Amino acid sequence: VPCVSGDLHKPTNVTFISINMKNILQWNPPEGLQGMEVSYTVQYFIYGQKKWLNKSECRNISRTYCDLSAETSDYEHQYYAKVKAMWRTNCSKWAETGRFYPFLETQIGPPEVALTTDEKSISIVLTAPKKWKKNPEESSISMQQIYSNLKYNVSIYNTKSNRTWSQCVTNHTLVFSWLEPDTLYCVLVESFVPGPPRITHPSERQCVSTLEDQTTALEVK
Amino acid sequence: QEFQFGPCQVDGIVLQKLWQAFWAMKDIVQAQDNITSVRLLRKEVLQNVSETESCHLLHALLRFYVNTVFKNYHDKAVEFGILKSFSTLANNFFVIVSKLQASQEKMFSTRESARRRFLLFYRAFKQLDREAAVTKAFGEMDILLRWMEKFNQL
Repeated sequence: VPCVSGDLHKPTNVTFISINMKNILQWNPPEGLQGMEVSYTVQYFIYGQKKWLNKSECRNISRTYCDLSAETSDYEHQYYAKVKAMWRTNCSKWAETGRFYPFLETQIGPPEVALTTDEKSISIVLTAPKKWKKNPEESSISMQQIYSNLKYNVSIYNTKSNRTWSQCVTNHTLVFSWLEPDTLYCVLVESFVPGPPRITHPSERQCVSTLEDQTTALEVK
Repeated sequence: QEFQFGPCQVDGIVLQKLWQAFWAMKDIVQAQDNITSVRLLRKEVLQNVSETESCHLLHALLRFYVNTVFKNYHDKAVEFGILKSFSTLANNFFVIVSKLQASQEKMFSTRESARRRFLLFYRAFKQLDREAAVTKAFGEMDILLRWMEKFNQL
């Protein structure tokens, strides 16, 4: 149904939220229409090409987000997206994003972190986050395969002494030695890629205790 | 950092600084580019560039950026209050061009193929209105930096 364009305020804060190449377009309702039965339609555009393209699953929707991961999966291209609001017979003008470059702008999720302890050391094994994939059956692609210069910021916190160490590593295994026996340590890891500034996502904080010092344990017996 | 563009080596460039400089003005600069149906640094210009070609191509592109794009964008940079970022990029590009100058002159093998790639970029540039073309080229520096980064010797 054609609507009268321009009578409605445009949606606001139209932006891509991208993590591990999962690219979600999101926006806020037009001013003054929060809570009203507003519907939205989304289109996207590949920089350097000619036409705006429709996303059929995001036509006349009431939610304020649209998953454009599949449409923007060639991360070496740049994209624009736009959204307009409709309410009764009125509709807004289009509200557009800036130029979105997935390769440079996607945020890198945290790695998986596996810890094993000894009396005076903690071994850490990191697994790079996985790239978004269209179907669960598809084989997983590690973000490491896309960013060969992917690095990790590893922080370890001694809960007894309240001291923290941090280390930037590129490999996936590391050992923190010379730790205190029988002490609770907490570990936090962030992935990052040198280049444009990106928001980082630390891993869940994991705490493990180093084992009792076996020599003192024997003496006690 | 050290970059190896085929036989040409460039060191002393801190790419992170260039990224930060561009990122500080990316939204302002790219918002001025209304001709979204044209991309100057298309995949045909930068994709599958051989190592030996890369030195010629980079030299041609950066020299063009220094002599044409930066030269004609300076007043806009002042107008938009992005002179600091603009200067960081301009000065670094100038340094890279001068470092590439000598070594790329000695190489003749892949000059022609690199020239053809540059001409793809240049012809697209010339087809646009001058000011619009300069604005577009300036806004595509993220594509250029991304390509340069591939030649970074970790």
